[in-house]
Amino acid sequence: MARMTLGTRNVSIEFPGVKALNDVNFEVSTGEIRALVGANGAGKSTLMKVLAGANPDYTGEVYLNGETVELRTTMAAKKLGIQIVYQEVDMALVPTLSVAENVMLGDMILTADKKPLVSWPEMRRRAKEVLDRLHINVNVRTLVQDLSLAQKQMVLIARAIVNKCNFLILDEPTAPLSDSETAELFRLVRHLQETENIAIIFISHRIHEILQICQKYTVMRNGEIVDTSDVTDKTTTREIIEKMLGRSFEENFPKETVPIGEKVFEVSHLSGADGKVNDVSFYVRKGEIVGIAGLVGAGKSELCKTIFGAYEKTGGTITLNGKELKIKIPTDALRQGIALVPEERRKEGVLVGETVTFNLSAAALDKFCSGAFVIKSRTEENARKYVDSLGIKTPSINQKVANLSGGNQQKVAVGKWMAADCDVYIFDEPTKGVDVGAKQDIFRLINDITRQGNSVIYASCENSELLSITDRIYVLFDGHVMAELETAKTGEDEIMHYSVGSTTQYA
Amino acid sequence: MQAKLKNPMADKGGKSTLRRLLDWAAVIALVLCFLVFYLVKGNRFLSVNNMINILRAMSITTVFAIAATVTMAPDGFDMSACTLASCSAYVFMSMYLWYGLPLILCVLITIAITLVMYQLTMFLILVCKIPDMLATCALMFVHQGLGQWYIGGGAVSTGMRTPYGAQPVRVKLEPAFSAIGREPWLIIIMLACVLVAHIFLEYTKHGRFIYAMGGNKQAAKLSGINVKAYRYLAGMITAVFIAIGGMLVASRGSSAQVMCCDNYLMQALAAVFVGRSVGGAEKPNALGTLIGAMLVSTLENGLTICAVPFYVLPAVKGAVLALALIAAYATKKEQ
Repeated sequence: MARMTLGTRNVSIEFPGVKALNDVNFEVSTGEIRALVGANGAGKSTLMKVLAGANPDYTGEVYLNGETVELRTTMAAKKLGIQIVYQEVDMALVPTLSVAENVMLGDMILTADKKPLVSWPEMRRRAKEVLDRLHINVNVRTLVQDLSLAQKQMVLIARAIVNKCNFLILDEPTAPLSDSETAELFRLVRHLQETENIAIIFISHRIHEILQICQKYTVMRNGEIVDTSDVTDKTTTREIIEKMLGRSFEENFPKETVPIGEKVFEVSHLSGADGKVNDVSFYVRKGEIVGIAGLVGAGKSELCKTIFGAYEKTGGTITLNGKELKIKIPTDALRQGIALVPEERRKEGVLVGETVTFNLSAAALDKFCSGAFVIKSRTEENARKYVDSLGIKTPSINQKVANLSGGNQQKVAVGKWMAADCDVYIFDEPTKGVDVGAKQDIFRLINDITRQGNSVIYASCENSELLSITDRIYVLFDGHVMAELETAKTGEDEIMHYSVGSTTQYA
Repeated sequence: MQAKLKNPMADKGGKSTLRRLLDWAAVIALVLCFLVFYLVKGNRFLSVNNMINILRAMSITTVFAIAATVTMAPDGFDMSACTLASCSAYVFMSMYLWYGLPLILCVLITIAITLVMYQLTMFLILVCKIPDMLATCALMFVHQGLGQWYIGGGAVSTGMRTPYGAQPVRVKLEPAFSAIGREPWLIIIMLACVLVAHIFLEYTKHGRFIYAMGGNKQAAKLSGINVKAYRYLAGMITAVFIAIGGMLVASRGSSAQVMCCDNYLMQALAAVFVGRSVGGAEKPNALGTLIGAMLVSTLENGLTICAVPFYVLPAVKGAVLALALIAAYATKKEQ
């Protein structure tokens, strides 16, 4: 089997305002399992999309065995034997079709011109052949919707190697898998590496898995490759994390110190959200900002939404001011003094088809009503107040929120709750996709909340933000609380240590 | 002070002239209709009597369309509205003729029974979580069968025996009964329905919550709006309008014929769709629905005066709906 090499030379990608990739030189050869690590937004996925032909606007060049190749379409990449399995497996599979059809889908498209008719026995035979080759035990007639997540992933990997495949990119494949499923996936990956002349690029946040299965690792930070090293017996989690974070680049946010009072809000042994929240206990004191840290997929959003009643709670209690809360739906949470600013603002946070005025009064509309009737002047007065105090940039308070920029939509999503006078405000990734200026406004607002004696739960995967604004931090991994940290006595490396699932004490 | 326009992103709020024109397309079309028919037929079209003709012809459709508007505001749908209305008409007529109850009592009983029957719709949608379209599709047949079982398969009208062979208590309709289905009351009732729906949807908090839910159910839920309760409320209001529509049909026809309301569904939906984009509302709204219904009715009336055969009129109705939908969707960006 000839050894093949795929690489990039000075590849850059610019999105409006940011350099997502900056002169990246990356190389991988068949027969190795390569880890690609980096913090959120480091450019891992962007780079892999270039290799998969899904990012046609790159500058620089990509080469295969020394020759320059053009990877401007996904088809071009596939023809060169570069296959990618994205993290969201459900996006790539057709749930109502059988395993055989899903495995052979790519092949059917490639050969559609030559073979207009489908031969079912042939298709099933070939699909079974591939699955057997990978020792995957799934009936080819099963509908994909009946498979487990791990099996779906196997089906996608099988699809990738039906046709020519020399480079297989797995984007966070283990994030949704259980331990035994992960072990099975690793068996498959090793098998591919040993027998199929394939290079596997393995993107993961779970450093201990990388130490277990990869021969080499490449670290990315801020759109650049900062290091490529061999994985040896001496490689440690800490070493990789330090490379991922680089020197500390903490941003300065105005954290005000407000007197912290009694314990007001407590969650004990909370479970729910289909198992994504697992026996979580924590408390919040009056005037305190408590951070919820953890990587993408750790269960932060699920925790926030379970508290708020948007996901089903299967166990545990939620207490506010010594009273146990009964929350079945979000309406109950709001009535009892809990507000949630959700992560996906366009989908969940704001009503894009409604005006700024309505959005800002939606959570407390009763306050602006006389009987059942909405008093327009009162809602407008409220809207003007928050447009001013939050610095929401809008041509008019009667503008539809759909027409505002992302940062301003987020301010509306936050401002919506200000009129509601809640005791506990839960923020889920409030700074996602907003610029530094809007971030400052949001932080100022959070400070205002605590100054009024209310409490804040702040979930974010931006550890530098957590460190600058919170009083205490709970670190989540796989829906469990791994650690409780005093913000003043901790740092990014310690948060990361627990975020990647380490159970050992951080030294 | 209001924040000034600083952000280039916000500029997208300014609509293009074409978009603005399309927002008012239904109103412009209505005005054009009046102009053209006036120019062609003069005062035969633009007489008080003919205006009343137009209003009378559109009134029943409009009431059903208002029912559909209230259902569709929270992003619901009801295919079985008009089959249920037939049941309401059967009940109304039978209470009046068979049992000889006072008119006001007949009205209240009809509304009550329609509300009770709507619980089934709500059960399938809210408890069994069947998508609205499918649940009401099934219910359409249920209503047809149940309704006709109640009336014994035949119409309820004066001079007919009850299905059990008994003599009806009333043998003729009183003037008050017939007045409901004639102008001015028919038209007044229609306008009252439009007004009530308009005030409810536009000016009460319940209406705003229902629209919020229609715009984005997930965001509405996470804003603390009890989305199930509001879908239920919208359903109950729909049921009242359905009952009113059924009673108008019975009074207008002086009888409850078998499946007398079933055919109103599609016209009612057409009126809602035409009215959806009126004034850039981009959601089902009562006034838009009124304009939609009026446009269809005016066209039919004018074309009839111009001696276009009645059997061609559905094609015109269809064309109006298609044009309205083109105005609403063709200029949208691909998702």
